[in-house]
Amino acid sequence: MVEQLLILGVVASAVYALLSLGFTLSFGIARIVNMAHGSFFMLGAYFYFYYGARGFGKLDVFPSLILAAITVAIIGAVFYRLAIHSVMGDDVALIVVTIGGALVFQQAVTIIFGTGHVTINPLMEGAIHISNVAVTYSKILAITISLSLFACISIFISKTKMGRAMKALSQDREAAMLMGINTEALATLTVAIAGAMGAVAGTLIPASTSQMADPFMWTPPLTIAFAVVILGGLGSIKGTLVGALILGFSETAVGLYFPEGGFLKTAVALGVMVTVLLIRPRGLFGKRIELEE
Amino acid sequence: MHLLEVENLTKRFGGLTAVNNVSFHIDEGEIVGLIGPNGAGKTTLFNLITGFLKADSGTVKLRGENILGLAPHKIVNKGLARTFQVVRPFRHLPTIANVLVALQSPRGSDKIEWIKTPERKALELLEDVGLSEMMMEPAEILAHGDLKRLEIARALGTEPDLLLLDEPFAGLNPIETDLLTKSLQTIHLDGHTMVIVEHKLRALMKLAKRVLVLHYGEKIAEGSPEEIAKHKKVIEVYMGKGK
Amino acid sequence: MVTIYLRRAYRSFALHILDIPSRLMALLLIVLFLAIPGILPANPLMSYLLSVLITASVMAIFASSWDLLVGRCGQISLGHSIFYGVGAYTTALLFRSYGLPSWVGILIGVLIAAAISLPIGFPALRVKGPYLALVTLALPLIATSIVFALKDITGGENGLPIPVEGRFFQLTNIHNLRIAEYYLTFLLLLVSAIIIHKIANSRTGIVFVSILDDEMASKACGINVTRYKLMAFAISATFAGLAGGVNVHLLLSASHGDFSLTLSFFAVIMAVLGGMGTIYGAIVGSYIIYFLDMYFLRMVVDVPDVWHVLIFIVPVVLLVIKWPRGIARFVTDELEDLSEERPLEERGKRIWKKYRRKKKSANEG
Repeated sequence: MVEQLLILGVVASAVYALLSLGFTLSFGIARIVNMAHGSFFMLGAYFYFYYGARGFGKLDVFPSLILAAITVAIIGAVFYRLAIHSVMGDDVALIVVTIGGALVFQQAVTIIFGTGHVTINPLMEGAIHISNVAVTYSKILAITISLSLFACISIFISKTKMGRAMKALSQDREAAMLMGINTEALATLTVAIAGAMGAVAGTLIPASTSQMADPFMWTPPLTIAFAVVILGGLGSIKGTLVGALILGFSETAVGLYFPEGGFLKTAVALGVMVTVLLIRPRGLFGKRIELEE
Repeated sequence: MHLLEVENLTKRFGGLTAVNNVSFHIDEGEIVGLIGPNGAGKTTLFNLITGFLKADSGTVKLRGENILGLAPHKIVNKGLARTFQVVRPFRHLPTIANVLVALQSPRGSDKIEWIKTPERKALELLEDVGLSEMMMEPAEILAHGDLKRLEIARALGTEPDLLLLDEPFAGLNPIETDLLTKSLQTIHLDGHTMVIVEHKLRALMKLAKRVLVLHYGEKIAEGSPEEIAKHKKVIEVYMGKGK
Repeated sequence: MVTIYLRRAYRSFALHILDIPSRLMALLLIVLFLAIPGILPANPLMSYLLSVLITASVMAIFASSWDLLVGRCGQISLGHSIFYGVGAYTTALLFRSYGLPSWVGILIGVLIAAAISLPIGFPALRVKGPYLALVTLALPLIATSIVFALKDITGGENGLPIPVEGRFFQLTNIHNLRIAEYYLTFLLLLVSAIIIHKIANSRTGIVFVSILDDEMASKACGINVTRYKLMAFAISATFAGLAGGVNVHLLLSASHGDFSLTLSFFAVIMAVLGGMGTIYGAIVGSYIIYFLDMYFLRMVVDVPDVWHVLIFIVPVVLLVIKWPRGIARFVTDELEDLSEERPLEERGKRIWKKYRRKKKSANEG
């Protein structure tokens, strides 16, 4: 049981880190609370399924994955330009629009694929055995892919010119504009990247663990991404990693010890989020303190 | 007993000490000025006293009662009200409704004479600051000067013993400044004690009998307006070290 | 070109014909609504039309309760269906197990909905904006999971049907039944709407708006913001529970869909469509949506159910983008501006119509 916890926990943590990184980027840089972020997760799984099983003559694992990520990235960018861009100032409108978007995606997928599950094949067959436990290659692959992508994006943010521009944007939008940085383009790119990462995450989890996807699977990732980012601290990449670890393991633990309690997972993530917001709003490694009270 | 007693109040933001070991007291019936260059910590001090910010150390006592750590609305209901440097009106409400909100607070509604309705009292408060004509207008269309006066009327709605005004004269033209000075004098005569943060020193010196000077979070001087005007450190801080 | 003529015609129409004070307008609408069953012939299509209106009336209660919380008090709740579901399942269970009369069941459901709003609201309302939205978003999900987990009690996937005796009126003629239900729900809507409207425009309602506008300033006025937020939450939960309970005795079942996120979002759609913050806008929105959903998209044009949600959301999202203040408000704003011959670019459209009317009469008197 403990080994299972360990393995699954690591998988969960790694993938959640990737998912949440996308969220923290769009929250911190594009300054939007994208309620449809979980939809990227769901859409990623479905596109992976589609490209692999039906479209383009049954693509292989990696091409499907990459294509799915690209497709969702484009969807994210379009969604941003069309819907989000125009309601930027208004908090309520933004939430209404992004939830609306999420529901539109949900319904669209339901119409095309039906409300039931869709089977996602594992990334790779076979497993290695570490001290009596079978660790599937899928899981190892999931961990590797997530962590490498996470590292790539982090390096991109800190080392490249564009990445530093994004960071500037997250700290002071007006100043960034004055510096000649094309904030709109950058924000759109951020959402696209968030989309891509969410899509990869959405593929890796089903492909390595649950083996299934349904149109409603966008809400748990949303809650988790929120909770991870709040826990780790807004704007902190290190925080996202740590937050993902904590939440990944707690969630897995809850899932293992209470197999019937699907809702408990969401409740745990929520509980963490609310607790952090009440006790230490800036999270573990967050930099900005909210002045109000 | 002092109306307000602040001792060793300190607030740090990471590496920056915004308010550093500040102590002072306010007695009933005073008008005290609080001045200092931008960034000296005046508004932070207000936020700490009124409960909008958590202090790192020190005490704040209102009529001997410790109010540090209490929620802002509780502090208001103990008789300590404040206005904001950047006006915060309730945009969707008419002017009179803005004041009505304050009259809905426990203290505000308590202190309405039994013969009056809250609306009547709100109108009177608006008259006191010269806004009665605008009473039905939505607050969002008021001019800046009117909004500043609305802030004061609203704060008065809670019948405070001590009123903290954060830059009430900011953005007012000379006529408005004059009118406000007169209003504040009337308010003072009505029995309200005031602490006023201001940059417009001329207007402030007309009202305040005692002035505190803050610089980089520390109290560097205290005295009558005349004493402060001649105070070496104060001049240095505002003018720079000249020849 | 054509638009110029249209605009001119509209202008003269509005100025000369539609210049009716809103109270009179509301009265006329009510009279019209009361007369509808009398006008309609008794055939199955008309019975169906009546049931559309019945559903719309009940859901209008749901939507206007949401509007009070979100449009007036600024607390974005995406989990409103949890109270609806609680109201629904309570009365369904009580009827099935104990055969309690519908009113008792509904009343108890309402009380329970109000009761659970407090422990939910207390932690939830401490966070703001998107965080509150997310927390409340999760509520329907958690509730649905619980419903499935306790399938022995709640009937799980299948829900809880109740027998015909559960109806409000034991009438065998469907058309007459619908007429009776129509008047009942309309009455309920009227009473609920009046109560909610009175609260929204009371002194307490003023405090709600102050919280919506600027929570910090509200605190600086000595207002215990948390208490008022909870109050708004509890009041809206009560009416949501009422809607849920009533619907059970109309549709003769409670199901897990009563806890769904989609239902929650319907409240958003209805209120936003009609105009957030106006209360009556949510009612208008409800009629528009259910007319569309149950009549137009089912009888006139046959569209599969799955598409319905999609069809609503897209225009609503577009609407929020173009007219953040909703349709009903846009129309009434336009009419008001026309009647005062104000330039249309002038800003300063407001929620507080009542005060403007007062001012008008003060100026004329």
